[in-house]
Amino acid sequence: MGCLHLLPSRGVFIAMLLPDHSYVKAKSLEECLKTLRETGEKAKVVAGGTDVIFNMRLKLFQPEVAVSIRGLKDLQQVDELDDGSVRIGAACRLADLIDHPLAGGRYPAFKQSLEAVASTHIRNMGTLGGNICLETRCWYTNNSDQWREGLQGCYKTDSELCHVIKSSSKCHAINNSDSPPALIALGAMLTLQKEGATREVPIAEFYRADGVNFSVLEPGELVTHVTIPPVSDRQVFIKITPRKGMDFSLGAVAARCDGQGEQISNITIVLGSLVTAPVVLDKPAQVVLEAGLTDDAIEKAADLVRDELGEVSNLYGRSIYKRQIAIVLVKRALVQLREL
Amino acid sequence: MAKHLVTLTVNGDTYDLVVSDNQTLLDVIRDEVNLKGTKRGCTTGSCGVCCINNAKGEAVLSCLTHALEWDGEEITTIEGLEADGELDAMQKAFIEYGAVQCGFCTPGVIMSARAIVNAHPEPTEEQINAGLAGVNCRCTGQIKVKEAIREDHRFRHKRETGSGTQD
Repeated sequence: MGCLHLLPSRGVFIAMLLPDHSYVKAKSLEECLKTLRETGEKAKVVAGGTDVIFNMRLKLFQPEVAVSIRGLKDLQQVDELDDGSVRIGAACRLADLIDHPLAGGRYPAFKQSLEAVASTHIRNMGTLGGNICLETRCWYTNNSDQWREGLQGCYKTDSELCHVIKSSSKCHAINNSDSPPALIALGAMLTLQKEGATREVPIAEFYRADGVNFSVLEPGELVTHVTIPPVSDRQVFIKITPRKGMDFSLGAVAARCDGQGEQISNITIVLGSLVTAPVVLDKPAQVVLEAGLTDDAIEKAADLVRDELGEVSNLYGRSIYKRQIAIVLVKRALVQLREL
Repeated sequence: MAKHLVTLTVNGDTYDLVVSDNQTLLDVIRDEVNLKGTKRGCTTGSCGVCCINNAKGEAVLSCLTHALEWDGEEITTIEGLEADGELDAMQKAFIEYGAVQCGFCTPGVIMSARAIVNAHPEPTEEQINAGLAGVNCRCTGQIKVKEAIREDHRFRHKRETGSGTQD
């Protein structure tokens, strides 16, 4: 791992046709949930297709059935609830949410996180639910299957090994999507539905520290809505990428607080794209909560970030570099918060 | 794997097509509709060569979507820009500004450029940059392309007033 591999696209010999599978276009949510229950783990939900088809081409996903939810109009609504929260359907396109007065218009950090996703083309196709459930990425698995054959398999490809950390007993692929840190900072709730059951899960508890089963989503379950509570406008999102557009992030931070000036009453700081799940930073938040957003407290808080991260050696450079990125991101976020 | 009947409107012409489950929209445009202008690039969403415009005039990538998803929808490919033997304003601008070298990615770049001016008729620098992120040209670069997009409105005007393509 001596060099920075910024773009994990070495050795891409992509198959011309997608692997064989059958395609079901769900006409209603009930029909979709029924199909998902019947097919269980053999199914993949397709909304925008930008991540699912990409992974199918890499033969990481080999579903027997692709269930399309793009036709479900009830998952494409954005509504304001009685308590002032905003309920966003999971099949809303990212491009539509950026300009929506209730979504991007109301939550600046959420808007910034959506604008940071890939390119206009991808945002015109990709959905919020897809971004939340984005498959974890890794320097080994995100190559073509022929390339991967050169090395032994890994946890993600049905073998008992992790190429990132050889002695590890779990997968270290990273959660590389942009909206989750922002949604965690805003305190969003996810509605998960399967046939006959609906549950609400805070998005902060949605992700697990395992690259293979990276979320609490059960087979047959679907993320249907995202509910964001009313919050103050003191919120930021910052993403670092090699190029300004298109790239997955080297590291991202989202933060939100209440209060005036340096005195704050409540703060959430979340780091994304560094490990298997977004990291909510408790100790640094505690420091700035007690001391206020002063220069000293920000320095002290940023220093504590180093200890709160786990292994960060996957993708885009060595861990020493990524830890430094995390520290810089938290500092920038806190300084920007102070000025809001 | 089953075959399905799909009705797709490409550049104003409606086609009834027999499409299998695993075909992407790109496969159908190139192999079934037989319009070879839309190119197959990385097929993973990073190059933008397969870009087409949807019914709203937005840029989408035909390689990353199932063809069956587009049943009953309307799309525009590079072949649909020219009308009555006259090139589209964007195509004229690309010729005028030399925004082409090998030309392989040009259909995708022009369709992305069209989407930019559909949304913002006289785009700013940031809007052009945002619309061209995800479009990779490995030989022309982006400078000439950006010049062409900036000046596209001039060529639109010429077509409306009926004067020639070049002064």
